Amino acid sequence: MLKYIGKRLLMFIPTIFIISVVIFFIIQLPPGDYATSYAAAMAAEGEIMTPEQIEALRAQFGLDKPWYIQYFSWMADIITKGDFGYSFEYGRAVWDVIAQYLPLTLGISFVIMLFQYVVSLPIGIYCANHQYSVGDYFWSFIGFIGTATPNFLLAILVMYFIYVKTGTMYLGLFSTEMLQNGMRPEYIPEFLGRCMIPVLVIGTSGTCGIIRTVRAQMLDEQARQYTLTARAKGCSEATITYKYCLRAALNPVVSGLSGALRTIFSGSTVSAIVMNMAILGPVLLTALKSQDMYLAGTIVLVQAILVVVGTLLSDIALAWLDPRIRFSERS
Amino acid sequence: MGKFKKWMSLALALIMCIGLLTACGGGNNSKTPEPQQPGTTTPDATPSTPSTPDPAEIAASGFSEAPYITSLGTYGAVEDRLPVADDIMVESVDAAGNPLAIGVYGGELKRSAGGGNWDAGKPVEEGLFRFNTSAEVEPNVAKSYDVNDDATVYTIHLREGMKWSDGEPFTAEDCVWFYNAVCLNNLDGKGIRNCHKDANGDPAVVEKVDDTTFTVTFGTPKYDFIEALVVDLKWHYAPKHILGDICQMILDGKEAEAIAAGKELTGVEFSDSSALGKETLYYFWNYSGIPTLNPFVLSTEANKNNVKGEYYEFVRNPYYWKTDAAGQQLPYMDKIIYTTVQNVDQTLMLLLDGTVDYQTIAVQDAPTVLDAENTSGTKINLYEWSGVEWGSAAHQLHLNLGIADANKNALFNNADFRQAMSICVDRVALASALTDGWQDAGQAAPQEGTLGYSEEWSKKWTEYDVAKAKTLFESAGLVMGSDGFYDFADGTDFELTIVSVADMGAADTFSLLDTYYRAAGIKCNFRDYDRSYIDNELMAGSLECMLYPVTPIGDISIALKPNSMIPGYATNVAWYGNIKEDTATGDLLELINLKKQLDQTADADARNDIVAQMLKLHEENQWTIGYVAATPTIHAVNARIQNFPDGLVWSDIYRDMGVAHCQCWFIQE
Repeated sequence: MLKYIGKRLLMFIPTIFIISVVIFFIIQLPPGDYATSYAAAMAAEGEIMTPEQIEALRAQFGLDKPWYIQYFSWMADIITKGDFGYSFEYGRAVWDVIAQYLPLTLGISFVIMLFQYVVSLPIGIYCANHQYSVGDYFWSFIGFIGTATPNFLLAILVMYFIYVKTGTMYLGLFSTEMLQNGMRPEYIPEFLGRCMIPVLVIGTSGTCGIIRTVRAQMLDEQARQYTLTARAKGCSEATITYKYCLRAALNPVVSGLSGALRTIFSGSTVSAIVMNMAILGPVLLTALKSQDMYLAGTIVLVQAILVVVGTLLSDIALAWLDPRIRFSERS
Repeated sequence: MGKFKKWMSLALALIMCIGLLTACGGGNNSKTPEPQQPGTTTPDATPSTPSTPDPAEIAASGFSEAPYITSLGTYGAVEDRLPVADDIMVESVDAAGNPLAIGVYGGELKRSAGGGNWDAGKPVEEGLFRFNTSAEVEPNVAKSYDVNDDATVYTIHLREGMKWSDGEPFTAEDCVWFYNAVCLNNLDGKGIRNCHKDANGDPAVVEKVDDTTFTVTFGTPKYDFIEALVVDLKWHYAPKHILGDICQMILDGKEAEAIAAGKELTGVEFSDSSALGKETLYYFWNYSGIPTLNPFVLSTEANKNNVKGEYYEFVRNPYYWKTDAAGQQLPYMDKIIYTTVQNVDQTLMLLLDGTVDYQTIAVQDAPTVLDAENTSGTKINLYEWSGVEWGSAAHQLHLNLGIADANKNALFNNADFRQAMSICVDRVALASALTDGWQDAGQAAPQEGTLGYSEEWSKKWTEYDVAKAKTLFESAGLVMGSDGFYDFADGTDFELTIVSVADMGAADTFSLLDTYYRAAGIKCNFRDYDRSYIDNELMAGSLECMLYPVTPIGDISIALKPNSMIPGYATNVAWYGNIKEDTATGDLLELINLKKQLDQTADADARNDIVAQMLKLHEENQWTIGYVAATPTIHAVNARIQNFPDGLVWSDIYRDMGVAHCQCWFIQE
């Protein structure tokens, strides 16, 4: 097992290096650079920059150098100083910007993920145990509705109905008073109410996939001979379901955790914009659009690292969950 | 409103003459311009202006301050914080000369924002001088100015006893140091502005006379210095007592020390001295800890002072130097609070439930906004201002006159082709279909109520005549091909590639235009791009044709802000692409030469004549084709906000929302 983990960790370094080069190359690929985007943004606000000023800005940020020079300089600073560069858009160190948005991003993403698993697993098991029942059809229908409806549309509909019903527009997780005075006990009910919208909207989209996966896996496992043997030996249905079938059925669900780590880091971008949530997804989008390359590069790089780490963790979890994987590794 | 517009169009023509005369003066060697008193406007232009309150009379009855300031108990008597009585600026009328109500203190203006910069800066900006909406220069931070006979020496008089928002005295030294240390050394990333350059391009000499007086001296006559100052530089000062040492460190090459000092001052670690200089000296309102002369200053409290954060607030300046006619120190409101939104469209939603007090809106959204009272109980008032766009921003066709392709270059520069592209479209049907009747058909021409408006121009090339358009296409050198579409004379295909920005809704416009163009024999294609791509291509001048506002084709004055109207003055204008003086020909070159001639002309009549000639060239050539008339700027304002002015002009030169003078707004629930 240790050798297996060590091998995976060694593969980690070249993988990340290749990913970082590709990321940096792609980010700087569109025509122009941050200086031209910035000049255009300023022009829209009435400030006209001369070509000399744009050139000076380019030189100031090192954008006049070839992309590979910029890349190696960026990488050298990351490795030697832990410095991820400077966000042109925010006028601050990249990590300061990420740190500003990270707590809320992690918090809301984690709650959404928890919601998805807490809701989907029992439903998936129920549907498998009651195949083709009314309940099975009902929950499958609800799940499909959640998946088939785009999150942003669902968000708009939910916000519209709440506005029409209450006269209040629930945009964002915090009200002006919360932002102004900090979180106080009297604000908690409203805050939880505001959290419900993104949790329901984004959470429902992922539940269907998990429900269907668990249901199908459970049905597969229930048809296996070891289930028949357990039943013949007189094991209770609960033991068969939760001790044997569910454990085997969780393999693909656990594999999905690798992608979930990445999602937790950035959140759901489009839905976050629609619901006015200050999390990293919209920050990444803005950075990509304005070619704020070090900020965009760092966020994508961290996401890539999380995918690799997530894959590693899910593989380890799978090995722990499924003895067959451990045995095949040993052999 | 109609009456107002008629009056405005007449007044603006007169006022430009008067405004320029005021600035020039020296042309006939007989006048020194009489500086106006604060809050007054030229009687001829604004007959309804009430008499100006005398600051001394107001002083006799005493000044008062906001209860919030009194409750803090740390600022001393209000009289000690204001300038001397005669030099206090009294805000008694709005920018159009209409009297302001005497307000009450307290409350906060709730806004949404996308992250600082001009959106937060313009509303609170205090220039040395400012425009009213009749294009006249008014004193502001400066009390007055004098100019010698040949317009080479300007003497600026400041207000005695005026203070920065941290209570330190504001003097001529702050103005002189800003120019000599900051502008001449390009510490703010902007360097020497055009307003400070003479006809030879040499920089002016700025010298201190005493604490309230400084001079600006040019090598050659500078007839429009004051107007150009308002447009190019605006403030002309910085707090030397706060930023002097940091700037000296930068000049001495002590970058690390400067960055550390900058971090101590603002809490932000800048990447290098260039960023430090630009952010603290040019975008100074975005950083707490830097004193200003503005009515509201960014809070110094944690979690309320990051303009890139989710929430920030600008709080009242206890040393603000203006009062109302009753002697109450302005501003009335305690704060302007900003809640950041991910998308500007969300502001409309927040406006509806009262989370936001103010936003400009599209005409189409007016019914929704007015209905908010029934849904959420939020009463919102609408105010209509004129705009500066020539025609509807979203539906203008910009042909790149500097395009590299020789065939297309010749075609786009042919007036017959542009006329044909204009008249082959039934713009009445187009406007009706696209805007559901909200906007009229029109041409790209100055709006009624703004400089250069003429009914004739607004209707130029607006008839719908496909047969005539075909004749014009042929006279422009196109020949009908076997496929039913026009080709170039050398037999190569002609296909017009039109682009726009994805979120501008131009795809709908194109789908209708395409029908008309094809019926007239013009093959075209269209593609929406992300804004950043378009911005970059605009900078390169490489786009063929755009359906997009880009920057507005016109501003309030072609003379003062020629960027999008005269080739070579901006880097992102679609219709002239990369054309500059050395590559311009014909009327485009004539336009550039007229601007140069204007810069060297003293006589007011002659200057007005040149401006008229420049506008005439635009009218004759119609370089940009408009199909739908412009709409006014609609301001949606929560009914609790009082003193919001109606009928002004939305223009960058007037500082957009800044001309509404938010320090005079007050809240009445």
